[in-house]
Amino acid sequence: MNAFDGHAAAPGSDASSGCETHNPGTCAVLAENLTRRFGDFTAVDHIQLAVERGEIFGFLGANGAGKTTAIRMFCGLLQPTEGDGWVDGISVRENPERIKRRIGYMSQRFSLYEDLTVEENLSFSGGIYGLGRRAIAERGSELLGRLGLDAHRRRITGSLPLGFKQRLALGSAALHSPGILFLDEPTGGVDPLARRQFWDLIYELADGGTTVFVTTHYMDEAEYCGRVSIMIQGKIMALGSPEDLKRQTGAKSMQDVFLRVVEG
Amino acid sequence: MVRSVLYLVQKEFRQVFRDRTLLRVILIVPIVQIFVLGYAANTDLKNVRLSVLDQDSSRDSRSLADAYYASDVFIPGPRASSPAELQNLLLEGQTDVGLWIPRGYAATLLTSDAVAVSMTFNGQNSSAAGRSVGYASEIALQEVGRYLESAALAQPDLARRARRIESSSRFFYNPELRSQHYMVPGIVVLLITIISALLTGVAVVREREIGTLEQLMVSPLTPGQLIAGKTIPFALIAFFELTFATTVAVLWFRLPLEGSVLLLGVAAAIYLNVTLGVGLLASTVSSTQQQAMFTMWFFLVFGILMSGFFYPIENMPREVQWLTYLNPLRYMMSMVRGIFLRGSGVVDLAPDLARLAIIGVVTFAGAALRFQKRLG
Amino acid sequence: MKRVLAVARKETYHILRDPRSLAVAVVMPIMMVLLFGYAINMDLANVPVGILDQDRSPASADFITRMTSGDFILEVARLGARDEVEPGFRRGLFRAVLVIPQGFGERLVSEPLSEIQILIDGADATTAAAVDNYLKAVVGMVNLDLMVRQGNARFRSQELRSRVLFNPELESSHFVVPGLVAVVLIMICALLTSIAITREKETGTMEQVLTTPLAPRQLVLGKVLPYLVIASVDAALVLAVGNLIFGVPMRGSWWLLAGYSLIYLLIALALGLLISAVTKTQRVAMMIALVTTLLPTLILSGFVFPLASMPLPLRMIGRIIPATYFLEVIRGIMLKGRMWFPVQGGVMLGMAVLLLGMAGRRFRTRLE
Repeated sequence: MNAFDGHAAAPGSDASSGCETHNPGTCAVLAENLTRRFGDFTAVDHIQLAVERGEIFGFLGANGAGKTTAIRMFCGLLQPTEGDGWVDGISVRENPERIKRRIGYMSQRFSLYEDLTVEENLSFSGGIYGLGRRAIAERGSELLGRLGLDAHRRRITGSLPLGFKQRLALGSAALHSPGILFLDEPTGGVDPLARRQFWDLIYELADGGTTVFVTTHYMDEAEYCGRVSIMIQGKIMALGSPEDLKRQTGAKSMQDVFLRVVEG
Repeated sequence: MVRSVLYLVQKEFRQVFRDRTLLRVILIVPIVQIFVLGYAANTDLKNVRLSVLDQDSSRDSRSLADAYYASDVFIPGPRASSPAELQNLLLEGQTDVGLWIPRGYAATLLTSDAVAVSMTFNGQNSSAAGRSVGYASEIALQEVGRYLESAALAQPDLARRARRIESSSRFFYNPELRSQHYMVPGIVVLLITIISALLTGVAVVREREIGTLEQLMVSPLTPGQLIAGKTIPFALIAFFELTFATTVAVLWFRLPLEGSVLLLGVAAAIYLNVTLGVGLLASTVSSTQQQAMFTMWFFLVFGILMSGFFYPIENMPREVQWLTYLNPLRYMMSMVRGIFLRGSGVVDLAPDLARLAIIGVVTFAGAALRFQKRLG
Repeated sequence: MKRVLAVARKETYHILRDPRSLAVAVVMPIMMVLLFGYAINMDLANVPVGILDQDRSPASADFITRMTSGDFILEVARLGARDEVEPGFRRGLFRAVLVIPQGFGERLVSEPLSEIQILIDGADATTAAAVDNYLKAVVGMVNLDLMVRQGNARFRSQELRSRVLFNPELESSHFVVPGLVAVVLIMICALLTSIAITREKETGTMEQVLTTPLAPRQLVLGKVLPYLVIASVDAALVLAVGNLIFGVPMRGSWWLLAGYSLIYLLIALALGLLISAVTKTQRVAMMIALVTTLLPTLILSGFVFPLASMPLPLRMIGRIIPATYFLEVIRGIMLKGRMWFPVQGGVMLGMAVLLLGMAGRRFRTRLE
């Protein structure tokens, strides 16, 4: 499925179905007044979010807007200063460790072991998520095929081009079939063709029912998402499907939407 | 549970074995250290050059000089023909001790007008000099005693009344008195300490630097599993080094291994608990590899200096000695030496083992507490 | 030149923001001076000794008193039986046991020869030998005394005057401080600089820099400059502490010392550069630097262990270590006031030129 075909067909694009904000268990990701401060600096400022299961949610914003901090809170890496968040119904404040079983995470730096082979990186990832050897082998092969990395199984990760590393990182994050995938700037520094192919993969995953929560500062990628939010200096200034936002702001592209939101 | 740890250990080993240079270092450094230190760390006083200015040229003066050369400590240095020349030899560093036997030595020996024999020592190396002075005085005393005895025995009535006490010395453990036997077990301890503490600390920080630590923290692994995954590989490597070093010590240096190998292993396990804990602790307070290395290095150097490895703890001032009670190396040094040389058993080592175990628990607990799966 | 200073400035920021390496480089040597001056002492005293008096006569008691008077040994235990000896050794209670057999007192009066036994824990060979020697000497003194008491008042003890040059108080600090200067210089200039340069390679910033008009040589020089400054300051501090607190003398010329230190410093620097040229990661750089610079300086240069006591192959290795020569120079200047070091000076200059040349060549062709 091509990412450019009718994003209207993207699952969960309907802004209000299923997910009830007072019932965390019904949402994939929920945030209520979620705030994080570092000393005087407020990185994430009382954000409100509700992400449907199976949705592709784009978490947009300029660099330094607070996106990575927010994702880290959802992943249980940082404690909120105020407010709370729920991932798959589990509170970020109270049970961050339980969240970790249900999610997959791909960090900005891809976080791969450069001195291990593609296969070894995958099997390690599977192993620490508790997958059995057979499961790792089967799912691993399947993923390598879908990621187009089959021919490069035995190559040392450090020798791969950036685009391949990116795919491997996605594979590692998705190997244990998590319900929710958090991808932090997964397409940073990668060429446009590779980016498009990557989004094809994201679509495949979402089709399978995985919720994908992705941050990016590429506004064109926003078009691929079911709904997006725009974060500026820690606050969410806009939230909705790309068409809705374009209609509201009278802009023609998400790029324009962003500029208009920033300017006022 | 255990499987995840196995995966972590497997990954760590893969990384170690892929790093050619690190591998070479892990294998070569111990070899170099054990051989170099084994031969160099020699506190035997030997080959101390003694120059004689013999202005008496009598049988007795020659006998005195020979008494020195006959000892294991002093060897002949360049002869001098004047006091100034003797002084110069010392100043220029061409000799270590100057012995000046003035004229009249034999004639006035043991009488009330006895001429003074003087010895001048190069005091630069204070410990060697101190011990040289000690040995020299003792040799002189023995020489005088011998002279006295022969003089006394020459008089029959004295010979009849002569009374002597004779002492016989017996050395337990290390009868050949090789200082190597004392040093090599210490080197074994040094080796496993350096490997386990340094490598562990650096390994954790490395992941933090690359970013993979974050990935691990997001996974369902518990802090315990993460810690185990990081420390077990290096504990295993340390055990390998221990086996290797012990084998070299016993086969090459012919070090006796009087005690039980099992006990050695147990002591090592308890000790590694401490060193790994310290490495881990260092990693939790460091954000770069360099910081981790330097933190560990700092503690290692002082730990080694105050462990009794080359400087005896008993000679240190009281307050400093109390400080060494906190030093795990102190206990391990003493235990390993005991096991190798004295055949010390569990009963003998029990107090030290207990203290080490406590330190280990405390350090590891401290490290584990700090090792949160959080960034903030 | 301006570019070099810019690099130097950046490196200084790095260093200041990472106080830990600074702490190690600066604080550690000072603490070592304090440690050596105050705590470490190779001279034996109060060696714990046990007594097994199987005779329990006034004569044996008297003998024991004579043996244990003085500082060298300290009576810590009275044993009741022989089987207490080994457990005592194993538990580290005492290092030697003096055994006076039953009948000692009687024999002393009636027989020409009486025997005693000295049982020594030989594990620590040096102490064991020293204790043995000492106890034998005391027995010798007792015998001398017996002979004198026998009624020949003509015999008086021969006088042996001993004098210690250059360090009459036998202060270990006088010995150690000059050595520490060598250790400091090599630690900072070889160890730290090799890690610093390798770090740029490892983090990839080296690549970044290579795209700028900055020449590799300028980069290296700039990186190294702050460490040179730190090393000099540190060495000066060590000397100051040694002199002010422990009275380590400076009997020679400061200029001469500075000059030779500079040569040594350049040698250390060249070594650091060569190491960083062949390593890719910091942890390897550190281990290689430790083994090839710091350890030899500590062990084979005569800093702690006298070269004379080592077997030939090690002494030969000691002769190719720059620190060996530098130590002879610095000790000669500080403790003896010597001025002229033809051999050492020549060797050091030769090493400096050779190593700097090699380092320079490696950095001109590849900076990978």
